[in-house]
Amino acid sequence: MIYLDHAAATPMSEKAQRAMQPYLAMQFFNPSAAYLPAVEVRRQYEAAKDAIAHVIGAKGADLVMTSGATESINLAFSLVADDAAILVSAVEHPAVMENARHRSNSQVVGVDQNGRIDLGDFAQRLSPQTQFVSVCLASSELGTIQPISELSRLITAERQRRALAGEQTPLYFHCDASQGLGLMELKVARLGVDLLTINAAKVYGPKGVGALYISHRVRLQPQQLGGGQEMGLRSGTENVAGVIAFAAAVQEAARHLHAEQKRLRTLRVQLQQSLADIPNIRFLGNTKTQLPNFLTLSVAGLDAERLIFRLEDQGIYVSTGAACAASKGRKSPTLQAIGLSEAEIAGSLRLTLGRLNDAENVAAAGKLIRETIIAEQERLAQSSAR
Amino acid sequence: MKVFLGMSGGVDSAVSAHLLQQQGHEVTGVYMKNWSQNLPGMKCPWAEDLADAKRVAVRLGIDFRVFDFETEYKQKVVDYMLAEYQKGNTPNPDIMCNQEIKFKLFAETAFEQGAEAIATGHYAKTRGAELLCAKDDNKDQTYFLYRIQPAVIARTIFPLGDLLKTEVRALAEQLQLSVAHKAESMGVCFVGEANMKDFLAEFIETRPGKIVELETGQELGLHDGAIFYTLGQRHGLGLTQGLPYYVVKKDMAANIVYVSRNLNARKLWSNQAQLRDVLLRAPADRQIMARIRHRAPLVSATFDADAQTVHFADAQKSLTAGQSVVFYRGNVCLGGGIIV
Repeated sequence: MIYLDHAAATPMSEKAQRAMQPYLAMQFFNPSAAYLPAVEVRRQYEAAKDAIAHVIGAKGADLVMTSGATESINLAFSLVADDAAILVSAVEHPAVMENARHRSNSQVVGVDQNGRIDLGDFAQRLSPQTQFVSVCLASSELGTIQPISELSRLITAERQRRALAGEQTPLYFHCDASQGLGLMELKVARLGVDLLTINAAKVYGPKGVGALYISHRVRLQPQQLGGGQEMGLRSGTENVAGVIAFAAAVQEAARHLHAEQKRLRTLRVQLQQSLADIPNIRFLGNTKTQLPNFLTLSVAGLDAERLIFRLEDQGIYVSTGAACAASKGRKSPTLQAIGLSEAEIAGSLRLTLGRLNDAENVAAAGKLIRETIIAEQERLAQSSAR
Repeated sequence: MKVFLGMSGGVDSAVSAHLLQQQGHEVTGVYMKNWSQNLPGMKCPWAEDLADAKRVAVRLGIDFRVFDFETEYKQKVVDYMLAEYQKGNTPNPDIMCNQEIKFKLFAETAFEQGAEAIATGHYAKTRGAELLCAKDDNKDQTYFLYRIQPAVIARTIFPLGDLLKTEVRALAEQLQLSVAHKAESMGVCFVGEANMKDFLAEFIETRPGKIVELETGQELGLHDGAIFYTLGQRHGLGLTQGLPYYVVKKDMAANIVYVSRNLNARKLWSNQAQLRDVLLRAPADRQIMARIRHRAPLVSATFDADAQTVHFADAQKSLTAGQSVVFYRGNVCLGGGIIV
């Protein structure tokens, strides 16, 4: 198997697996119970939250642990009323897009050909009524990193204007950092966000564990009532093992961040070079503003889903933004937003590198992907000649 | 020959693709997208089925297309089904789907796009324009195919007609097809795994009504709406005490379901059925064999073409309005009609 879909899921690291092990059975106590072994579990849980928070430059008390990025995003959106004016970028994950779509007063801010948000368009749409802005740290299809700090400056200026004018309308900034954690430096103060979504499943932690960072400026209302866990914002017995594994995974990623970034960049260059001479191939995004592990490409006229099946037969797993069964027939709004034609979207592949890759398997994958794409092109040429 | 094969994502059409290839045909696999409405809480597996079909096509190296028949399917099959239920009938949407979509719209579209024949993974056989029963008695699907126009049958290939289902599975395994162990699809395709009652309740407004015992006129309880009940049905009435009750009659206007404990209740049994929309593939004027539901045993009968009635040698239980009676002589399917 050669796995090239790390943006979809990552295998849990051994450290994370080992870290969670004691909490599955031996240290099973309810962290809310009064006896000492339970108190010890609570301490470990809080320490894990602190460790996760530390990686993004926050404190454990700033985090609400959730069941993953989707829940975190929904919790963030719960901050504003259904008719509040909202701005999102055109390259958001469905969890953000659907929240925007279900509200009456949302606007989508355009992006350039690399999928980077158009700051001019953003400034223009940011109005005295705007209450909530949600922009991803990096697009999940292109890996394009968004200028979060620059957006934050525009938002801060608008807030200051409101304060001076005596206007009461609040303005919050949420960033979905599901893609990016473990692949780039990530500090909430530098980003200037009020809310930040992170997810264990993309950083070699367990699935079903995420967090929402909430700055002190923000007062959320609980969306899940019960025993009052997570500062009353998200009741339900804590996922102790999951959160502890998340902490182990994210710390490990932070320790190796720079080395891993460099390694992934090198592998990406290698992969890109091995595919570069395919007729009609186009690489999407600009490597200067992309996560180091993303290589998204398009070969107009090809059927990416056929490629996925042919590659899967050879043990290579990749992803697409085309309208395939995995997306229930919906083609990628992100690829539409960067101006790709129907044929280019249909022929798009997303290759995302990670710990399961090395120079050897990337070389093998590059060779097989190249051969498979060329074979499909030949099949198409024959079939249209018939 | 250029053959367009309907591929559903199941094992039958997958093996059919392989067999057609073996016979030297130039095969194009086609997934018919008939229904993609996702009702929250109801699983509709079309996307998975499409992927399964395409995966097999790619593996076998054949062309693959998707025909989008959603609009027509909604009109010709779903709306028909809902209208029939509203009349108090129990329609057979699979028969309608074969008549209107698979062997009409699909066939026409395929021929327009250059196909010389169409094929499906149904268990049946053809001889010229004749429709014949499959070798596998247990799987024979001619009951669902009796309404297909003979001109289309003449241009149809059923690659599985001479195979047993067990042989088909074995072949799929041997070919290492990803669908070799996929479970048989059950029930009406677009209802997916949801049950028909839940599905109907989404589209048809119903009111609770009385359940009345036929013999005594006694009111036994309430039902959820008469359209949900079918003649002969004995489950889902919510009457759990003592011997089972059977639905023996429905009064749609008054929304009353009549039940009886007497399996011999006269309403439940009948020697004859009035048919409508009869389609005869061959003369059926002499002694024939008839089937009153899929996989029911063949029973001896005669058909009166003038009166459009079928007379059974022995009384039949639960002849259900909306279902079909299909005629046979030997292994030839002669046609049939819909019970009034």
